[in-house]
Amino acid sequence: MKKAADLNMDIYGAELSRRGFLKTGGTLAVGFSMIGAGVAKAAVAKNTLDASLPQSFVEIHADNTVTIRTGKCDFGQSSVYTAYRQIVADELDMPFEAIQTVVYGDTDRTPDGGGTFDLLGRGVPNLRKVAAYTRQAILELASPALGVGKDRLLTKDGTVSGGGKSVTYGELLKGQDLKLSIPVTGRLTDMFGLVVNGNPPLKQAANYNVVGKSFKNNVIPSKVKAEEMWVTNVKLPGMLHARMVHPKTLGSKLISAGTVDKVKFPNTKVVVKGNLVGVVAPTEWEAIQAARQVEAGTKWSDWKGLPGHENLFRYLRQDADWKSATVSRSPKSAGNTAAALAAAPKKLSATYEMPYMKHAPIGPTMALADVQADGTVMVHTHNQNPQALRGQLALMLGISEEKVVVRTYSGPGHYGRSNGGNAGAEDEAVLLSKELGRPVRVQWMRGEDFQWSTQSAAGYSDVKIGLDANGKISAYEVDHYMPAMQDDRPIGAVLAGLPTMPAPSDKGERLNNTINGNSDLWVYDGILNLEERAHGTWQVGQRESPIAVGLRDHSMRTPGQFQQNFPREVALSEAASMAGADPIQFRIDHAKEERLKHILDRLRSESGWETRPAPRAKTASAATLRGQGVSVMLRTGSYWACACQIAITPASGEIKVEKLTMVVDPGIVINPLQLKRQVEGGSMMGISQALYEEVTFDESSVTTRDWRTYPILKMAEIPEIKVVMVNRPEVGTYGQGSEAANALAAPAIAAAFFDATGKTPRRLPLRPAFVKELLKA
Amino acid sequence: MATISVNGTKREVQSPSDTPLLYVLRNELDVMSPQFGCGLAQCGACSVLVDGKEIRACLTPVSSVAGKEVTTIEGLPARWAKQKNLSAGEAAKTLHPVQEAWIEQQTPLCGFCQNGMMIKATELLEKTAAPNDAEIKAAFTTSGPSAHLCRCGSYYAIVEAVKYASALMTKGGAK
Repeated sequence: MKKAADLNMDIYGAELSRRGFLKTGGTLAVGFSMIGAGVAKAAVAKNTLDASLPQSFVEIHADNTVTIRTGKCDFGQSSVYTAYRQIVADELDMPFEAIQTVVYGDTDRTPDGGGTFDLLGRGVPNLRKVAAYTRQAILELASPALGVGKDRLLTKDGTVSGGGKSVTYGELLKGQDLKLSIPVTGRLTDMFGLVVNGNPPLKQAANYNVVGKSFKNNVIPSKVKAEEMWVTNVKLPGMLHARMVHPKTLGSKLISAGTVDKVKFPNTKVVVKGNLVGVVAPTEWEAIQAARQVEAGTKWSDWKGLPGHENLFRYLRQDADWKSATVSRSPKSAGNTAAALAAAPKKLSATYEMPYMKHAPIGPTMALADVQADGTVMVHTHNQNPQALRGQLALMLGISEEKVVVRTYSGPGHYGRSNGGNAGAEDEAVLLSKELGRPVRVQWMRGEDFQWSTQSAAGYSDVKIGLDANGKISAYEVDHYMPAMQDDRPIGAVLAGLPTMPAPSDKGERLNNTINGNSDLWVYDGILNLEERAHGTWQVGQRESPIAVGLRDHSMRTPGQFQQNFPREVALSEAASMAGADPIQFRIDHAKEERLKHILDRLRSESGWETRPAPRAKTASAATLRGQGVSVMLRTGSYWACACQIAITPASGEIKVEKLTMVVDPGIVINPLQLKRQVEGGSMMGISQALYEEVTFDESSVTTRDWRTYPILKMAEIPEIKVVMVNRPEVGTYGQGSEAANALAAPAIAAAFFDATGKTPRRLPLRPAFVKELLKA
Repeated sequence: MATISVNGTKREVQSPSDTPLLYVLRNELDVMSPQFGCGLAQCGACSVLVDGKEIRACLTPVSSVAGKEVTTIEGLPARWAKQKNLSAGEAAKTLHPVQEAWIEQQTPLCGFCQNGMMIKATELLEKTAAPNDAEIKAAFTTSGPSAHLCRCGSYYAIVEAVKYASALMTKGGAK
């Protein structure tokens, strides 16, 4: 076969070159070159991304199989194993099965970084563009090989054909060692990682063969057969087990560390670094018992600096500083709400409150670190942004990022907690390993995970709605209030007094300031007067805490938007009632976007909805009250609508969601089976958040400590669920299934409660005591 | 020192007798499927079968299972093969129907709790061959020391998988 003689081609801004010829095999490896010298230096540190190293995004091998690599991780939503393989397969014109290996989240063998959110990149995740560049390179190679012009070549099933001849990609690559360098920008070790640039021709949705089909998740068998290497299963020679003794309160300083009984625990060591105390032993059971003994003997200063959860919203409204952070006004704000409200014959003015919630992974955070003699720091963890963690660990130790390698494994999903780089235990494991010169495995206990992890920020919103004489909304005004929701400081480094990124403050940069953004995308374009403002403040207790801790927050599934959508959607349902309108029709009447109107219409027909105003006619002294409620959301290009039918038992205060219907229009549905499972799971988490979840705390500490004090949904409480997917290829992009679903249930349940009882819950969670209190009012 | 039987094999245990079974299995015997979730018997991630009954390995001292048969996910295929009198050759290629169902139904999301879920499903189906929805929900919610918790919300997929496994077991397995 004829081979391209001189290879140094420009392909839509990417560069194809030959590194050499091989006796066996052959590869096309797709790595990258940096745009902009400034970022190049930062990003190339460890990953000198010559694609001869195994950090390339895509590799096509001589046997026509493909390896893909991504810095995005899997935390149970399967996107890297299903959607990514489908997107790449389609863009390359290869079968799904050709992509046999997915490598994710290892800082030394994956190319891009970034937190594990927005995995589908609003239609163009990095890997899609990478694959598109790669297909163009294949065509460039095939044209001289087949002696046919590039524009007369067709690609299908991993084969290029034209002029009556054909060649597989693998045959084209045989004996060659090729490299395609594609342009990227960004910073490898920050929240967002590297972004692939340029505009290679992308496949049109109408031509998809692989996207749209229900492929199975290829990691599930190993999990089911007990073959998966969970992070918890990683063992290293000479590994020690550690348990931490964390401060008594969120503001306590160490006075003196306790000791261990050397007879009972002869091999246990206590390591103290500032306010960080670790207990390390050869066996896990010894570490647990010894840590209990050390804890009992450790003295901490007292601290009281939190308002207590019962006073949280009074504190936030009256005492928090909302002035030092710039107020954000949403881009859709328009018109004159003050005048329209003044003129409105009917008005709603209400405050909605969202408690702190926990990411609450089923297993507490755990990490294994091995600080080696040559200074290399190896960390084994379950993390959603390993590159950012790498940067943070280097900062903590004052060493180059080149020295730090983070390997990511399956673990208990923690829904956003580590998107900024740390899940909890990693930095502590590193500090202990460095001190002892041995690999150290740090496992937090259940209570520590509730006490020392970050949480989803609490918030409240003041909503004003004006209705005109025709029962249409003439004005909508909202002020959202929420403390900083992104504290990426590793807690062990904070306690040890070592360098970290700055705590969130009014002087902070993009990811550590106190500014609150408008996260809930406005969808009611029929409302002419709109004012949406978001107010931010400091994390509660952070400045009061002598160790700068207090209640630390971090984005959690549907972050910020969860807190802001509940007020909007419950208020819309209340306004519909004031207008005497059916809540679904009322939403349709205020919408302009056809996709939104369509899913609401589908929701009405799919959910068994009774079209009528709420509340429903009251049944006298019923033992069970029933109601229906609706909510909608637009997130990362996906439109969502949810209906809940609930039953309330006034005597016990218990709410049972009897049926939940979710309609989602993500644009292109990539994988119906996996999307359905994502939506079901998200919906269940949403019911859990609505009915049960709240972080309680006193003046010193989080008092939530286990699954009794932080109850989540149990199987007996699940409703009938119906997931309706609206596939819209014409949209041309794909949205997400892994977020949003968890946020829809709460406002729909609250609206259903109003429908059933005439009383509106304006805060969460809807636990029995609150339900009884509402019914009494 | 205790002798326990794990997935059909007698094992001598060196760990102190008060060590919870979970740490013995994972750290001494390299049986890695039971996971540490809470250490409080509140979640079910560490569940194993002891003489066919689900227990929480995180709070069960190893001494208390001496002489008893411990089954973990690793031992489910052999457990099924024994129950069906499969030949060694067949057994080597056979998963337990619960495992087949968990794969077929794409049940796990993160999957960290699913060890306990599959253990509970096995316990249930060995007693009740064709459980209805209410029986399945009760098994996972009220039959053990605590409800089996899943943060990702895979409960619906579990109900579907249990029914699928039940159908497989009734017809004698996946083949």
